[in-house]
Amino acid sequence: MLELKGVSKHFTSTKAVDDVSVTIDDGQMVGIIGRSGAGKSTLLRMINRLADPTAGEIRFGGQDVATIKGRQLLNWRSECAMIFQQFNLVGRLDVITNVLTGRIYHHGFASSMLKLYSPAERAFAVHALDRLTMAHTAMQRADTLSGGQQQRVAIARALVQEPKILLADEPIASLDPLNAKVVMDALRTINREDKITVVCNLHTLDTARKYCDRVIGMAAGKVVFDGPASDLTLEAARAIYGADLGDFTEEMTSTDLDALGRPPAAAIGTAVDGQQLAS
Amino acid sequence: MAVTTTPLTETGHPQDPVSIYEKHRTDLQRAKLGQNILFLLLFFGMLIFSIVTSQFYPERLAQAASRVFEYFGTIMPNLQWDLLFEGRDEQGRAVEGSLTFWYTDLDKYLSLIWETILMAITATLLGTAGALALCFAGSRNLMKNSWIYFFARRFMEICRGVPEILIALIFVFAFGIGPLAGILAVAIHTAGALGKLFAEVNENVSRRPIDGIRGVGGNWFEQMRYGVLPQVLPNFVSYGLLRFEINVRASSIIGFVGAGGIGQELNRVISFYSDDRVLAVLVLVVITVTLIDLLSERLRLYFIGKEQL
Repeated sequence: MLELKGVSKHFTSTKAVDDVSVTIDDGQMVGIIGRSGAGKSTLLRMINRLADPTAGEIRFGGQDVATIKGRQLLNWRSECAMIFQQFNLVGRLDVITNVLTGRIYHHGFASSMLKLYSPAERAFAVHALDRLTMAHTAMQRADTLSGGQQQRVAIARALVQEPKILLADEPIASLDPLNAKVVMDALRTINREDKITVVCNLHTLDTARKYCDRVIGMAAGKVVFDGPASDLTLEAARAIYGADLGDFTEEMTSTDLDALGRPPAAAIGTAVDGQQLAS
Repeated sequence: MAVTTTPLTETGHPQDPVSIYEKHRTDLQRAKLGQNILFLLLFFGMLIFSIVTSQFYPERLAQAASRVFEYFGTIMPNLQWDLLFEGRDEQGRAVEGSLTFWYTDLDKYLSLIWETILMAITATLLGTAGALALCFAGSRNLMKNSWIYFFARRFMEICRGVPEILIALIFVFAFGIGPLAGILAVAIHTAGALGKLFAEVNENVSRRPIDGIRGVGGNWFEQMRYGVLPQVLPNFVSYGLLRFEINVRASSIIGFVGAGGIGQELNRVISFYSDDRVLAVLVLVVITVTLIDLLSERLRLYFIGKEQL
């Protein structure tokens, strides 16, 4: 169980995340939605401790991970895998080495510096790649892959960490709709089959509705909605995305292919969302 | 979208964007002009001061130029066309005016040149290892602990700040005459100079792969090994080879203080004979350095073109 109590991140003039308290049960798939700058990324990075919270507690398995240091912190990061919007693979290394870096926490100094991995670890890594239908690229350099392929390699890297919880920071924001579907399907499969808690930042309402058991809406660093996706009414969405948008429809945030087939919404708003154009 | 146009008649108005911009521009130019004049005055003041201090006068230059040619006259070999390729006679004596006579000590020179190259290779390898060990700690973006950063930076400065020849002098005193002193001296300088260049390469890396490795629980060394090194390795190889060229030159000079290599012989022939033997050694040094330059350039291109390092 992941428990956030009063977690805040303050910069000199702004409050990126302001007093967030949330409890996430094991095995849930949670989507965090909100506009850019709402504090979603900062919140996720604080859970994995890539960023340090200014205040608050982050409890996992009875331990407050918000303040741990050194070896304990590395252990937490190895148990709490992270998927990034820009994939964050090492482009000049081959795919299999990128996946194997998911094991480095379990290695000593010499074996990790010399890239010495056991046959069992290599097999594990190839299996992880194979689950994402990427095993054939194992010996290729990571920067020769397309964005969607790189994100799948990044998920394989997360899988070999054998994480207890998987965080995904806008995993599909840099991908085309088809690749976005492949990546989101993979995350849901991991959640269902491996029973790994998945917390996923998303731009779009319909993706959150489609894939997540529970949706948390953030605006200006605060949680403004928390509940099952079915409770997400137009009113709630307005609160998350800001009332100043004027006429607001769910399709405006959509990058889903299906959205294109839908009849035009009753009211076409004056505000133009870049994502609508992109889809 | 409609663009609001300001009628031309209104440009004289102090509030319209064009006149605000024009005023700003003239102000900036005026401020710059004063600065430029100041710099120009300062530059010429310094130039005159340095000319006077170093007595860089035309008549002295003319005098010296003639003396340079005079010296070259003394070290020129007395070669004769018809005898150029004459071998040794029955008594094993070379004929004066032949290449064999000029390069009587060729075997000795060649073995010293070979020693020089080996010194440069060893020093470059040792120095690069030192630079690798120091460069990550000496990169602002990679080392958060400002004390370690500070000491890594200062240490590299000391390593490259002291001239090689001075370090060699101390090591010749400590280890005795021979290449060991030279190798260590050049290696220390290399660690400092390459370390700074490596650190600057490191400061331009992308943060993303490093974040990726942090995210999986990698410690600082693993972040450097996996997140940074693959990004910078081609540059490191290129700089390392460049340094090798420089070190061949450095190793041929360092023998002047007894630290091994061809420099020792060059010093000997200059101070004892000052005749055509000086030019014989110099020609060999120039040929060697040129060949090494060409070779390392080929190697550099090969490594840059390589897919995976």
